[in-house]
Amino acid sequence: MSTKEQKDRIALLQGTLDLLILRTLQLGPLHGHAIAKAIEFRSDDVLQVEQGSLYPALHRLIKRGWISVEAGTSENNRRAKFYRLTAKGRRQLAVETSKWDALAAAIARILRPAEREGEP
Amino acid sequence: MTRRKRMLKDLDQDLRDHLEVETQDNIDRGMSPQEARYAALRKFGNVTRVKEETRAVWSLAWLEQLLQDVRFGIRTLWRSRGLTVVAVLAIALGIGVNVGVFSVLNGVALRLLPVPRAKQLVSVNQIFRGRFSRDIHGEGSMFSYPEYLDYRDHNHVFTGLVAYEPYVEATLAGGNVRQLLGASITCNYFDVLNEHPALGRGLVEGDCAGANAVVVLSDALWRQSFAADPSLVGKTITLNRTAYTVVGIAPAGFTGTEAIPSEFWAPITMEKALEPGRLRIEDGNQSWLALLGRTRPGVTMQEVRADLGVIAARIDRQYPGRTTSLAIRTATFFNSPEERGLVISVASVTLGAFALVLLIACANVANLLLARASVRQKEIALRLSIGAARWRLVRQLLTESLLLSLAGGVLGSLVALWSFVKIMEFVTSHLPRGFPTFALNVAPNLSVLAYSLGLTLVTGIVFGLVPALQSARLDLNSILKGDSAHGGSGKRSGRWLLNTLVGSQVAVCMVLLLAAGLLLRGLYYAQTVDPGFDEKNVAQAFFNLRSQGYDEHRATVFIEELRQRIAALPGVVEVAQAECAPLAHDFSEGEFTVPGRAEKIGIEYNHVSPEYFSVVGIPIVRGRGFTAGVNRDASAVIVTEATAQRLWPGEDPVGKTIGAGGYRYSVIGVAKDAQVSHLGDANTTYLYYPAAPRDDVRTYLLVRYANGFAGVAKGIRVASQSLDRDVSVDVIRLADNLEIWRAPSRIAAGLSGALGALALLLASIGVYGMVSYSVSRSVREIGIRMALGANGADVMRLVLWQAMRPVLIGGLVGVALCAGVSQVLSSMLFGLSAHDLTAFVCVPLFLLAVGLMSSYIPARRALHVDPMIALRCE
Repeated sequence: MSTKEQKDRIALLQGTLDLLILRTLQLGPLHGHAIAKAIEFRSDDVLQVEQGSLYPALHRLIKRGWISVEAGTSENNRRAKFYRLTAKGRRQLAVETSKWDALAAAIARILRPAEREGEP
Repeated sequence: MTRRKRMLKDLDQDLRDHLEVETQDNIDRGMSPQEARYAALRKFGNVTRVKEETRAVWSLAWLEQLLQDVRFGIRTLWRSRGLTVVAVLAIALGIGVNVGVFSVLNGVALRLLPVPRAKQLVSVNQIFRGRFSRDIHGEGSMFSYPEYLDYRDHNHVFTGLVAYEPYVEATLAGGNVRQLLGASITCNYFDVLNEHPALGRGLVEGDCAGANAVVVLSDALWRQSFAADPSLVGKTITLNRTAYTVVGIAPAGFTGTEAIPSEFWAPITMEKALEPGRLRIEDGNQSWLALLGRTRPGVTMQEVRADLGVIAARIDRQYPGRTTSLAIRTATFFNSPEERGLVISVASVTLGAFALVLLIACANVANLLLARASVRQKEIALRLSIGAARWRLVRQLLTESLLLSLAGGVLGSLVALWSFVKIMEFVTSHLPRGFPTFALNVAPNLSVLAYSLGLTLVTGIVFGLVPALQSARLDLNSILKGDSAHGGSGKRSGRWLLNTLVGSQVAVCMVLLLAAGLLLRGLYYAQTVDPGFDEKNVAQAFFNLRSQGYDEHRATVFIEELRQRIAALPGVVEVAQAECAPLAHDFSEGEFTVPGRAEKIGIEYNHVSPEYFSVVGIPIVRGRGFTAGVNRDASAVIVTEATAQRLWPGEDPVGKTIGAGGYRYSVIGVAKDAQVSHLGDANTTYLYYPAAPRDDVRTYLLVRYANGFAGVAKGIRVASQSLDRDVSVDVIRLADNLEIWRAPSRIAAGLSGALGALALLLASIGVYGMVSYSVSRSVREIGIRMALGANGADVMRLVLWQAMRPVLIGGLVGVALCAGVSQVLSSMLFGLSAHDLTAFVCVPLFLLAVGLMSSYIPARRALHVDPMIALRCE
């Protein structure tokens, strides 16, 4: 195992997780645990996010100004921190989403060349 | 509270909350509380790592890493104390000499004038282009008085503009006659500089308007000549025959605005009385005044340039064909373009030489670090293989070398700043008589500190970068397999690096030693060169009677009488008179025409009495000398052999004519060549006119005596004082003039010799270290060779050859470099060739011998290696 591979994988995870968080918050402000649950639920449990890694990601997004944080109360009346998508974050989400789409399409074209040839 | 703290304040609570909610969810799904908690933790991951990573988002990671690196670096350096001490000392030496030299240069050329708010003071100089003629007294870039008035009255950028004539000589009459150096100033001088006299007052406008005979004296003069008498203010003193009222004493420490301290300041309108016979103040086309202006608050340099440029262009209109550009800069002790050119070229050569020593020191330390890096290869390889980033590793190694250089830099700077003050005192107190003393402040200021810090950082990076990059490029496999003797950074490239470092050290050392050798040869040549005249047993006395108010007639009477009295002194052989004494730094040059030649020829000349040639021992080789009686030789000249050869090659010069200033002169004799104006230069074209009565107002008397200079000097002084007690007379040996010529080369040779020795020491340590290191690394190879029956001589040859190869290559490069640049030294060499064979043979041989010695000692160790131990080693 060399250092380079390890670093690449972390970078990939990070970027993807950021995108997922932004997308999740598009529907409205949520607290930390709810974000983790939403990602799991919406991906049909395919994406098993290590919940802890959510927190460094959230702080990174706050630092970049893509999300903001505010105090509030959760569904079971506990004091909790709610994360909200900022205008800047909304723009970033659009950019990232289109980038992701382009990437996914490109990879799909490479992985499934036969199907494309078969198209009319 | 910082944003970082605010964001991280509730982190622990947040994580706990998260885990609780997850645990509760799990319990709701039917798990036991214990199980639910474990499941939540599993899903969450490593809590501590999450906390660390979150903190890292907000932290200044590089700062924390830097602190880590510094701590680790200090520990590592502490562990190898011996190496650390050597490296720090080498760097301290290198940086120390550089900082010391810079602090001297800073004191000479960069330091602002020592007056309040000196940043506002700017100096103004003009640079002329095109066709123009102009009288120059001092520097060509100076101003005339009418020009000054124009700038003073029409600028919009200064609160005040000062003009002054620097270096005005005056004789202080009274109890002890003294020659003083002062300045003629415009009367706003003290106000604009913001220097308020400690006693009395400065000059005021009224002093200049009415040409008041008032003067301000320096603190030093007040203490030396007037015993710090506070009642001096208001009394009169006599300067050049005119009585001046002392109106103030300048504050202690204010020595004027020129490098050589001023002792008095008189109104510029007193110029006529101070320097009789000159009327510069009315001349609009005469350079003689330096200008200093204090800018209005908020005015930029560009605005000053633009504003004054308008005035310069207007003045130019009066002189068709001439364009003036202004050189405007924040004022220092050296302002004029002429002075700055000289200072900067001297400074760059000196700093360059000293930087070379630092380079050697760096190469040495880099060597040491490389050697150590190979010992640390296992540590580094291990760290790389468990995932340390290479860049991170390089950074950490660089931190170590920067720590080294900081320690060395601080140590070196402290020692240098302390010792150079002492060294400067030593040098100034050992300058020959007649050498000017400078108002030199070598104490450190901000620019010196900035320089030493910058130098330290650059040094640390320079010597640290190569070993650091080298270590980070290891071949991990072979090192971790334990093949340390042959593994590592690729043995070949490591050795190549070492060799390059040693070679460059030797090259640099060779350049410095060759320069030192050349200068020492030049010094030897200067000490032993025959100047072509006999300087022994001749006394020289200078009389500037014009400044004493003498007219030509009175001067002639005085000199005639004085010569008779001196001739009658016991022990005096002969008395001669000359306009310029040999090698007195007193030159006259004119343009001459020769019938049959179109071009004008510049020839230096002198007005001498008939006795001159016998008194200074210059023989007349053809024709005759001058004879006594003024009128006979009025249109005669005597030329030197070199001049005759140049003007009339192959012909008899006696009887030829030469023209100057509308007059024709015929050559009556030829004098032997002598280095009377520039030591070391015998080929100057030179001719002698007979002295005339008008030369008596400013003249040198040359007195040949049989024995005892002191008696003769006293006799001359007494004779002069008995004729006029207010005439100052300065009697020195003619030989003292030679000393002044030789002093710069002596100082340069001493300095470069010391520098060369330093370089040699460092370079031989470098060679020694390199050879010891490579011997220690090839112990196994040597052991195998010995075990297989190689004899000692072979091994010796092998080791020596490996060691000497970079030395030889470096030496050759050094010789080539020095041959290329030694021309800059030629002015110090007194006619010696810049490629002097003796220096270019002896120095390389010497360096080679030193290199051989420093390789031989470690190489001999290799011979005593026991093959068994060598093979078991590692």
